[in-house]
Amino acid sequence: MSKTIIVNGTEYPIDVDEQMPLLWFLRDKLEFTGTKFGCGSGLCGACTVHVDGQATRSCITPVSTLANKNITTIEGLSDHGDHPLQKAWLENNVPQCGYCQAGQIMNAASLLANNSSPTDDEIVSAMQGNICRCGTYQRIKKAIRVAAVELAKEV
Amino acid sequence: MNKHILDAMSAYYDVNPVDSTIASQPSTIALDNVSRRSFLKVAGIASSGLFMGVSLPSFAGSANKAAAGAEFNPNAFIHLSENGDTLIYCGRCEMGQGISTALPAAVADEMEADWSRVSIEQADGNEAKFGSQATGGSASIRKMFEPMRKAGAAAKEMLILAAAKVWQVSASDCYAENHFVINKLNQQKLGYGELATLAANIDVPAEPKLKSKDQYRYIGKALDRHDQGKVVVGKRVYGVDTKLPGMKYAAIAHCPVLGGTLKSVDKSQALKMQGVIDVVGISPIKHPFSSIGAVAVVADNSWTAQQAVKQLKIEWELGANAVYNTKDYKAQLVKNVEREAQLVTERGDIKKAFSNAATTLSATYTGVHLSHAPMEPNASVVWVQKDSCEVWASTQSPADIQKVLGQYLNRKPEDIKVHVMMAGGAFGRKFKCDYVHEAAVISEQVNAPVQLTWTREEDMRTGFYHSINAQHIQASMDEQGKVTGWLHRAAFPSINTLFDPSVTRPSKNNLGEIDDHPFGIKNYRSESGESPAHTRIGWYRAVYAIFYGFAMGTFADELADQAKQDTVKFLHNIYDANTNPEQQENTRRSKAVLDLAAKGAGWGKKLPKGEAIGIAVHYSFRSYVAMAVHVKVDGDSIKVLNVDCAIDCGQVLNTDGATAQMEGAVVMGMSLALATEITFRDGAVVNSNFHDYPVMRIKDMPNVRVHIVDSDEKPTGLGEPGVSPFAPALSNAVYAAVGKRYRDLPFNPLTV
Repeated sequence: MSKTIIVNGTEYPIDVDEQMPLLWFLRDKLEFTGTKFGCGSGLCGACTVHVDGQATRSCITPVSTLANKNITTIEGLSDHGDHPLQKAWLENNVPQCGYCQAGQIMNAASLLANNSSPTDDEIVSAMQGNICRCGTYQRIKKAIRVAAVELAKEV
Repeated sequence: MNKHILDAMSAYYDVNPVDSTIASQPSTIALDNVSRRSFLKVAGIASSGLFMGVSLPSFAGSANKAAAGAEFNPNAFIHLSENGDTLIYCGRCEMGQGISTALPAAVADEMEADWSRVSIEQADGNEAKFGSQATGGSASIRKMFEPMRKAGAAAKEMLILAAAKVWQVSASDCYAENHFVINKLNQQKLGYGELATLAANIDVPAEPKLKSKDQYRYIGKALDRHDQGKVVVGKRVYGVDTKLPGMKYAAIAHCPVLGGTLKSVDKSQALKMQGVIDVVGISPIKHPFSSIGAVAVVADNSWTAQQAVKQLKIEWELGANAVYNTKDYKAQLVKNVEREAQLVTERGDIKKAFSNAATTLSATYTGVHLSHAPMEPNASVVWVQKDSCEVWASTQSPADIQKVLGQYLNRKPEDIKVHVMMAGGAFGRKFKCDYVHEAAVISEQVNAPVQLTWTREEDMRTGFYHSINAQHIQASMDEQGKVTGWLHRAAFPSINTLFDPSVTRPSKNNLGEIDDHPFGIKNYRSESGESPAHTRIGWYRAVYAIFYGFAMGTFADELADQAKQDTVKFLHNIYDANTNPEQQENTRRSKAVLDLAAKGAGWGKKLPKGEAIGIAVHYSFRSYVAMAVHVKVDGDSIKVLNVDCAIDCGQVLNTDGATAQMEGAVVMGMSLALATEITFRDGAVVNSNFHDYPVMRIKDMPNVRVHIVDSDEKPTGLGEPGVSPFAPALSNAVYAAVGKRYRDLPFNPLTV
C-alpha cells in the first residue's frame, strides 16, 4: 500500500522519489502551479503552503515525510477566493508582479490562525521570511491588519 | 496532463486564437478597421464585432536609444464583440509594473467603454502587428499613451457614426457614455455591442478628437490591477507555470566565468538517475543575449533534473576573465577616477574656476555589481519542431527571442512564435533571453517541449549585472557658496561592452546623464575612466541613474554642508543658476518635487537625537522624483522610519499604480543602499542565494508616503525613476543624524 497525501481535500498517492520536495510534487506531478519556486532553500517563502494548517516551506520538505497529512495550497485556501486575507489583499491592491503573494498569503493565514490579533511587531516577525522584490511590504502589513479585524468580526 | 491544466489551456486558446495575421499597415495610417469578415477568416474564431488594429507612425529613437537597445513603435488592438464584451490587447510586456492595466484603461477611457466590460490579454510577440514590444527604459507610457487614446477615441467616433446611421440623425446629435451611444434628441440608447458590427464598416477617422482632462473617466484615477483577483487564488500564470503535453523538465549549470569554455563533462552518474532523460551541452552563439555556455540535464521533473546537475562532473577552461576580483577591481576604478581621465565634455574654464575658488571640495563615490534577483528565476518553455518553434517565456523583449532563436535555428525571426507570459519580476534581467536560447537547444536535442528553470543559484551567478562603479567629483565655490566649477569623473564597465567587447570605458552617451544634469554650473568638465568589463553588464532598474543620482545627490548635500546652507535652499540655488533656456522646465519641475517632498516630510522640524531627515532629487527617464528620508541611527544600525516621495511624471495614468511603483522603488533603493552586492572572485560570482544576497525584508519597511504633482504635461514613465533618489537621501539623512558620511554603496556590505 503506497503512502498518500491529501492536497486541498483530495487524496493523491505519493508515487515519486521519497526525497522530492513537496513543492515539485505539487508543481510538476499534480500541476498545481499556484505554489511558487523562488530559492529552493527555504530562504524566500514563495513556496509556502500549509501542512495540517501550519505554514511550511514546501521547497525543503520531502513529500515522503507528509504521508496522511493535509496540505493546503493557495488554490485551496478558500472555496471562493474569499478568505479575509484574499479580500484584504484585493482591497489594498497588494500585488505587483504577484509571484511571491501566494506564499505571503499562506504565511499570513497561518499567522492569523495561530494569533487572531497580532501586533505590528508580531506581523513583521511572522512575515520576515517572505521576500517580495517588487516591494509590497507596506501593503502586506496593512492587509494583514485589515484581515485580522475582519476575522475578529467573524468569530 | 491534469484536468485543471487542460481546462486552463483550453481557456487560454479560446482567448488567444491562432495568429490572425493582419498585414502590417503603412506607417502613416492612423487606424485600420479590420473588417469582421476578414478577421473571422484569419482568426478562425466564432465571434464577431468591431475589430481594430492600430498602427501609428514610428517615433524617433529616444535620447538613450543605445542604452535602451530598442526602438519604440506603438501599436495595439481592440476587439468589441456583439455582446458588448471588449477585449484589449496589451502589446508591451507586464512584469508587475502595471502597464497592462494603465494602457488599456487609456483606451477604454477615450472609447467611453465600461471598464467592467473590458478584458485584457497579453499580446504574443509580433512587431508587425503591435509595434515595438521591447519593454524597458520606463518608456511604455511615454510612447504609448497618445496612440492608445487615439485608438479608443477612433472606436468611439465610429460607434457614434454607426448609431447616427441607425437613427438617421447627425452624429453631432449623438454622444457616447459608458458603453452606450445616446441620441440627444430623444434620449434613445444603443449599446456598444449592438453597434459593433455596423461600426466595423465605417471608415476610421484620421484624427479622432481626444478628451480633455476633466472628461477622463479612468485616466488619473486609482485603478485596481486588472488581474489581481487571479493572484490571490494562485491562478495568474507566469512563464515558469507553463505546462504542455509531453513536456520535459531541464536544469542547468553554467560556465562560471564569462568567455570560458567546456573542457569535459562526465555525465555517467547523472544518466544513471531514475527519471533522467539526457544531458545536453550548450555552446554560446554570436549574440550578446546568447547563453554563456552551459550543460543541462533533462528529466521528467524539475527536481530530478536539479539533483542530476549536481552529479555532473564538469571541467571548464575558464579563460581570460578568471582574473576578475571585484574588490581589487573597485580599488582600481577609484584610482582611475582620482587621476586625470579621458575628456568627455567641457564647458567654460574649469581651471580658472578652481584657481579663483573661495573653497573647493572633492569626494569619491562607489557602487557594486547588483543581481536583479526577481522572485521568478529565469524560466521558459520552448518547443522546437522541424517546421515550427514555439516559446512561452516571461520576457521583456519577445522580438529579441525571435532574433536569437532565429539566428540559432537558422530560421526567420517571424517563424518563431513567442507567447509573452506574465513575468514574476524582471527589473531588466528578462530583456535578455539566454535562458530561452538554452531551452531551444535542449528541445531540439530531445525532440520534445522543454521547460528550463534556472535554480536561484544559477540565476544569481549568471546575470547581466548592474555596473560596478566609481565617481570622483571636485567642485569650486565662491564666497556666497555658489558652485562655480564641477569636475566629474566616472568609471564603470558600460552596457556597451555587451555589444562591443573592445569598449574599455564609458562613452559620451553613457555620461549624458551627468553632462545634461540640470544643475546650473558654468564651468564644467566630465571625464571617463578606464573600466573594461569582465562579466556581462545589463540594464538594472534605473540603470546608471542609481550611481549618478547617488553621487550627485550626496555631493550636493556635502557642498551645502560646506557652504553652511540648508540643503533644500542650496539645491534651489544650484538649479536657479541654470541659465540654459532648454533646461528651465527641468529645473522648475525638479524644484517643485523637491519642495513637495520637503513639505511632506516636515523639513526643518525638530527631531530627537539620533534622528534626521535627508533629501535628494533626481531627474531620470524624463520623470522627476524627490525623496525625503527620515532615519534613526544608533551606532551602525540605520532604521528608516519614513520616506516622503514626490513625483512629477506629467499626467499620471493610474494613481494607485504610480504609488505602488514608488513604494517598490524605495524597497529596491534600500536593498542596494544598505546591503546587496554581487562579489566576483577568480572570475566567478561568489553569492548564491538570498542568505548572501540579502535583499530587503518586511522588518525594514518604512512608512512610505507618495505625493503626486497634479500635472497636465505629457506622461512619462515611473518604473525606474524612483530608485535613484533613495540612496543619496539616506546618506544625507545619516550624516545629518550622526555626522557619519557614507559614500560607498552598499553602506553595510556583507562579507561573502
